[in-house]
Amino acid sequence: MLYCEKCGVYLSGSMERCPLCQGAVTGQPEEDAYPPLPETARPYGLTVRLAGLLTAAALTVCAAVNYCFPEGGWWFLFVAAGLGSAWLLTGVALWKRRNPMKAIAWLLAVVPALVLAWDWRTGFMGWSINFVLPCFIPCMQLAAAGAARILRLRPADYLLYLSICILAGFFPLIPLFCGALWMIYPSVVCAGISAISLSALLLFRGPALKAEIIRRGHL
Amino acid sequence: MSNRSIPPWWTLDNAAKIFPSTGSAHDSKVFRFVCELREPVEPQLLQRALDRTVERFPIYRSVMKRGWFWYYLEDSPLPAQVRREELPPCCPIYPSVRRSLLFRVLYYRRRISLEVYHALTDGTGALNFLCALVYEYLLLRCPEELPQPVPVLPYDASPAQQQADSFQKYYEKPKGRSMGRSPAAYQIRRERLPRNHLAILEGRMPLDQVLACARARGVTLTELMTAIFLRAIHAGMRVRDRKKPVVITIPVNLRSYFPSESARNFFATINAGYDFSRGEDSLEAVLKEVRRSFRENLTAERMRERMNALCALEHSVPLRLVPLPLKDVVLRIANKIAAQGVTASFSNVGKVSMPREMEKLIHLFSVFACAGMLQACACSFGGVYVVSFASPYRACETERVFFRELARLGIEVVLTTNLPPETEVR
Repeated sequence: MLYCEKCGVYLSGSMERCPLCQGAVTGQPEEDAYPPLPETARPYGLTVRLAGLLTAAALTVCAAVNYCFPEGGWWFLFVAAGLGSAWLLTGVALWKRRNPMKAIAWLLAVVPALVLAWDWRTGFMGWSINFVLPCFIPCMQLAAAGAARILRLRPADYLLYLSICILAGFFPLIPLFCGALWMIYPSVVCAGISAISLSALLLFRGPALKAEIIRRGHL
Repeated sequence: MSNRSIPPWWTLDNAAKIFPSTGSAHDSKVFRFVCELREPVEPQLLQRALDRTVERFPIYRSVMKRGWFWYYLEDSPLPAQVRREELPPCCPIYPSVRRSLLFRVLYYRRRISLEVYHALTDGTGALNFLCALVYEYLLLRCPEELPQPVPVLPYDASPAQQQADSFQKYYEKPKGRSMGRSPAAYQIRRERLPRNHLAILEGRMPLDQVLACARARGVTLTELMTAIFLRAIHAGMRVRDRKKPVVITIPVNLRSYFPSESARNFFATINAGYDFSRGEDSLEAVLKEVRRSFRENLTAERMRERMNALCALEHSVPLRLVPLPLKDVVLRIANKIAAQGVTASFSNVGKVSMPREMEKLIHLFSVFACAGMLQACACSFGGVYVVSFASPYRACETERVFFRELARLGIEVVLTTNLPPETEVR
């Protein structure tokens, strides 16, 4: 065993200096009780930083070119918005990567918001509510059901998110009943798929869904 | 409906409710119990022992989930696996990249370590689990060294007793005024270790020497250690900080006051402080104040008042109706305000009991915790008393004064650390 004269304490381990005073120690070293501290690296740290640098570089180049040749309007803002949208989607996917069902539910909120914003800022031709959303939502419903099956999740781990995806399928009915659509078929099909899915969910997983709602909502 | 469809779940107990909202990378709310054996650990046998132990403690098979108003525990099919110790001590368990059980069992050379997320259980609950694990391991590892019939483990609570929320059982609506806000205490401000690492300094000493030292002054072990700790913090204070009192928070096991076999959290805290600007700084003077503070606070009536005051917040209808994301923010702010009244923490787990026939196979038990501040924990086993400091700071000034003081009192201290020597900067 080691000994520190200055502190008057014995030391167990193989340290060369006293951990209290950094003074010299005497005696025989022993085995350490702890492994050496690891050099922990942040996951995704380097990749995300490189992607951030590339984004900043692309934005700077576009801004500079646009500033030098402004005849075509401020198209650089579209590049910035596009890159921002890509970062937002990637961020959500990375943030919720440990729970694919949660990631799908979040994407179901973020993507429609982005699509509506893009449609609105480009003159609101209605392509978002007529086509994109009624097609995107059933795709996400399918993705949620598929992920639950492939990952062999327990009902408690997917029911709530699947319910959210199914309920989102009724969202296209709002512009439909408001008369804002010039192409009604995708929205009708989307709501129909959601109605059938909701019936199946309630008939086959009703008690488990009720238990999940009680758990999540307990006060 | 099968268990797979509707798994068992548990609401968090009163003390646990604050941990998921206030945890962070540097304050992981994880604590570690260590059992050092006489022989190197055999991982396969430890895994078998863990499988058996988890069967006896079903609530340990749970994961943390977010509700709309509160977090809760849910039964999980995830397997509990022993791992060689490679991560730094008390790394975050929740939240983490992957959903995991709320504890981990590690081994390194002769040591078995149990790291537990505080929302699952408190020190007493975790110690019962570790004792059961070590008991099962030793039954498998050294059957020839144990007499027949095999010794019986002291803790034998049923799953229902283990899962009971004792805060709910003993809560009464408080009649008097609620606890006031503590005055601001001295805050240790030093350079932190990189990557949220924790510096562990573990001092083991003969129990009879420490007890003799405490008895000679007419105080308990906890009182003696608290007083030495207060003085050690004071020694590192800048002169301009000395107008603030040094306050140490001490968790108290409520099972000592209210009968409970719960394997979940059931503790409250008391504060012991000393204003060095008003009184003399001798050990005797600090001990006198600490002793007075302990005598005043450690009564069944005061503990009941404190527990009821803590539980009253949880029972407040407006607070219960606040959505969880907002509750997270409110609790985080409340926790920061409460932390201003505390300088450091000292937790004395007390005597660890194992069947007498197994004691010769075990060297020591030790405990420490990550609480985002300087934290000391102590426990004793078989004539060895261990005080462990877990510090997020690079300099170990307080620990140096603390252990030197013990050596000065004639106690034979043996130190162990997890840090390479160059980490400490004076």
